[in-house]
Amino acid sequence: MSIEALAEKARAGARLNEAEALEMYLSAPTPLLGQLADQQRWKRHPDRAVTYIIDRNVNYTNVCVARCSFCAFYRPVGSPEGYVLGFDEIFAKIDETIALGGGQLLLQGGHNPDLPLEWYEDLFRAVKSRYPAFRLHALSPPEVLHLSRLAQTTVPDVVRRLVAAGLDSIPGGGAEILVDRVRKLLHCYSKASADEWIDVMRHAHRAGLRTTATMMYGSVETPAERIEHMGRLRALQDETAGFTAFIAWSYQPEHTLLQGVEATAVEYLRTLATARLFLDNFPNLQASWVTQGAKVGQLSLAYGANDMGSVMIEENVVRAAGAAYCMDEIEIVRNIEDAGFEARRRNMHYDVLGGPVFRERQVPRLLELAVARADGHRSVPAELINYPARSRAERDRRTRT
Amino acid sequence: MKEQIQEAAARITAGYRLTDEAIGALAETRDILTLGMLADEARRLRHGTDTTFVRVAEVRVPLDDGARLEIPAAAREVRISDRTDSLTTLIPHVRRVVAAADGVPVSAFSLEALEAQAAISGRRLADLLAALRDAGADLIAEAALDQLSHAEHALEQVRKAGLGLARLTVQHTAGTAERLEHIIRARALQQSLGWIESFAPLGRSWPPGAPSTGYEDVRQVALARLLVDNIASIQVDWGRYGPKLAQVALTVGADDVDGVSPVDDTGEGRRRSPLEDIRRNILAAGLVPVERDGARRRVMS
Repeated sequence: MSIEALAEKARAGARLNEAEALEMYLSAPTPLLGQLADQQRWKRHPDRAVTYIIDRNVNYTNVCVARCSFCAFYRPVGSPEGYVLGFDEIFAKIDETIALGGGQLLLQGGHNPDLPLEWYEDLFRAVKSRYPAFRLHALSPPEVLHLSRLAQTTVPDVVRRLVAAGLDSIPGGGAEILVDRVRKLLHCYSKASADEWIDVMRHAHRAGLRTTATMMYGSVETPAERIEHMGRLRALQDETAGFTAFIAWSYQPEHTLLQGVEATAVEYLRTLATARLFLDNFPNLQASWVTQGAKVGQLSLAYGANDMGSVMIEENVVRAAGAAYCMDEIEIVRNIEDAGFEARRRNMHYDVLGGPVFRERQVPRLLELAVARADGHRSVPAELINYPARSRAERDRRTRT
Repeated sequence: MKEQIQEAAARITAGYRLTDEAIGALAETRDILTLGMLADEARRLRHGTDTTFVRVAEVRVPLDDGARLEIPAAAREVRISDRTDSLTTLIPHVRRVVAAADGVPVSAFSLEALEAQAAISGRRLADLLAALRDAGADLIAEAALDQLSHAEHALEQVRKAGLGLARLTVQHTAGTAERLEHIIRARALQQSLGWIESFAPLGRSWPPGAPSTGYEDVRQVALARLLVDNIASIQVDWGRYGPKLAQVALTVGADDVDGVSPVDDTGEGRRRSPLEDIRRNILAAGLVPVERDGARRRVMS
C-alpha cells in the first residue's frame, strides 16, 4: 500500500497492522507522520488539556544482579558504590515531594538479592501508615519477577502481597524491546523475557492494577522490532485495557557497557508519532523530555503526545547514562501553554487533580534534579539487619560490622 | 485562516512569492506542523535534500605571545571571536591567524562590535573593515540585525571593503512580535542589499532562565524560510542549540548547519566524532549531508 493510502487509512481511524505501521515509520515524511499523529491525538483528546504529574523517581537500591549492558546505573553486589535507601531516607523524600505538590513516588531499583519481599512489604506498609493518601507507583515487571524468584512464589502471589501492603500501580520499566533476540543481545533476557514481562503486566491488570508501558529504543533493535514491541503491547491492551500510557525513550549510551550512540531527535518524533497511530488502544502518550530535553519534549505535543510526563523531582537512571535535563513545574507549564494547550495536573490514573500548584501557592524552583543520595554518603540502613542476607558480600559485611 | 494557509501552500509549490495576507496568516498560525511542512517544501524546491555544514575552528585574539597557533586540519572556516581590545592592536594577531589558516577562509568579529568600536574610537567603519581585509580576513563572522545602529549602511561598508558576510544573525528574541519583526527586517535588508547569502534566525542569546521553546524555534526557522525568500540559506548553529533542536530545524526549513567542531579525535571513538554525528543526524532527517567551507564552496570528500 502506498504511503498516501496508508495515510488515508490512518485518517479514517482504521487500525494499522504491523507491516503498515513499519512502512509508515520507515517511509512517511516526518511532517506527515506528525500531522496524522496529531489528528489522532485530537480525536482522543478533543479538549486543549495537556497533563503532567508531580512525582519523584526514587531508586531504592542500585545493587543489581541483572547486569544489563545498556544500564549505567547499577552496581554489582559487594560494590563500595552500592547503596540501599533506608526507610527514613524514603520518608524524607516523600515529605519533600508533598511540599512540592506531589502525591506519588515512582519507586524502582536494582535486583538486589539482599532485599527480600518482606522488605518491600514493610516499606509499603510504613509509607501507607505515615502517608495514607500518598500513592506508590512501584516495581517494574522485572522487579516483580525477581521477587517471585527470591520468594519462590508465583507472580500473582507477589502482586497480591504487594497490593495488600500498599502498591497502587506498576510502572512499565524494564520493557526495553519486547523481542527476545534483542533482550539476549542486551543481556536482559534472564531478567525477564518478553513473555515474562507481558505476563507480569497481565497478572497486574487482572489484579485490578493500572500500569504504564515503556519502550527503550535505539540500542540494537531493528525498526521492525520496535513495531513488534508495540504489537505485543497493543495485543495485551486489547485483552486487559490495563495500560494507562505509553512512554518511548531513547537509549542513553554514556557510561554503559554497550556504548554506541543515541538515536536522533527526528527518530524520536517519528517513533512517537508512529506509536500514536499504531497504539490506537492506548489513551495517553507521554513526552520524554528527560531524554530529549525541553524543546523536543515540547515538540512531542505536536507529534502525538498528550502528556508531559513527570516533573520528576529526582532521577538517577538515565542521568547515569548521560541525560541531564531538568524541568520543574513552572517550566513544564510554560512549555505546555506556549504550545497552545492548557496545563492540567494529574495522578497516575490520569484523573485531573487541578491546575498548576505554583499558581496556588509558592513552591521552590528546581534547577536540577535531585539524586538518590549525596556523593560519598555510604551509610547502611539499620533496618536491613531485620532481613536475611542472601549474598556472600552482604553476609561478610554484616560479620565485619 | 485555513484558506489563506492553503493559498500560501499553493503559491510556495508554484514558486511564487507570498502575499501579505498569506504572510499574516502564517505568522499567526499555531499549527507548527503545517508551517513546518510548507517551509520544508520551500526548502526542497530551493536546495533539494542537500544539507550543507561547516566545521569551524574558533580562535580568540589576542593570541599568547610566542605560542604556536594550531588550526585543526579538518577546519573549513577559521573564526576569530570578538574581544573588547581595539582593532588596531588586534590586527597583527589577525595576520597570524590568517597565516596559520593556510588558505582556509577566515571570518572575523561581529559587525556590531566593529561598528561600536568605530563610534568609540572616532574612526570610520570603512577604515576598520579595510584594515581587516588587508590583514587577510575573508569575511565578517556575523552581523546581528538587532544590534547594528545603522544596519544597511554598515553592511554596505562590508561589501565595499571587499569582505563577505558569513551570516546575518539575530542576537536577542523576546516576544512573538519581535521575532516576526526580525524576519521582516532580514527580508527588507536583503531587498536593499541583495548579496546576503545566509540568515540564522534563532536568537544567539536569551534571558537567564527563559530560553526559547521548541515551538518558538520551529516557528522562527519555518517563518524565516517562508518569508525571507530572498536569502538562499537558512542556517542553524549545531553547537549553540544542540543536535536535537538543530536536527529538527532541518526538517522545517533550515538547509545549513554552522558551528560543527573540527576536532574529530574526541577520545570517544569514530562513531561519536562530530563529523559522524552531523552526518548521522542529517541522514536521519532524510536529507543528504554536504560539507562546505567558509566561502560556501563544497568540500570534496
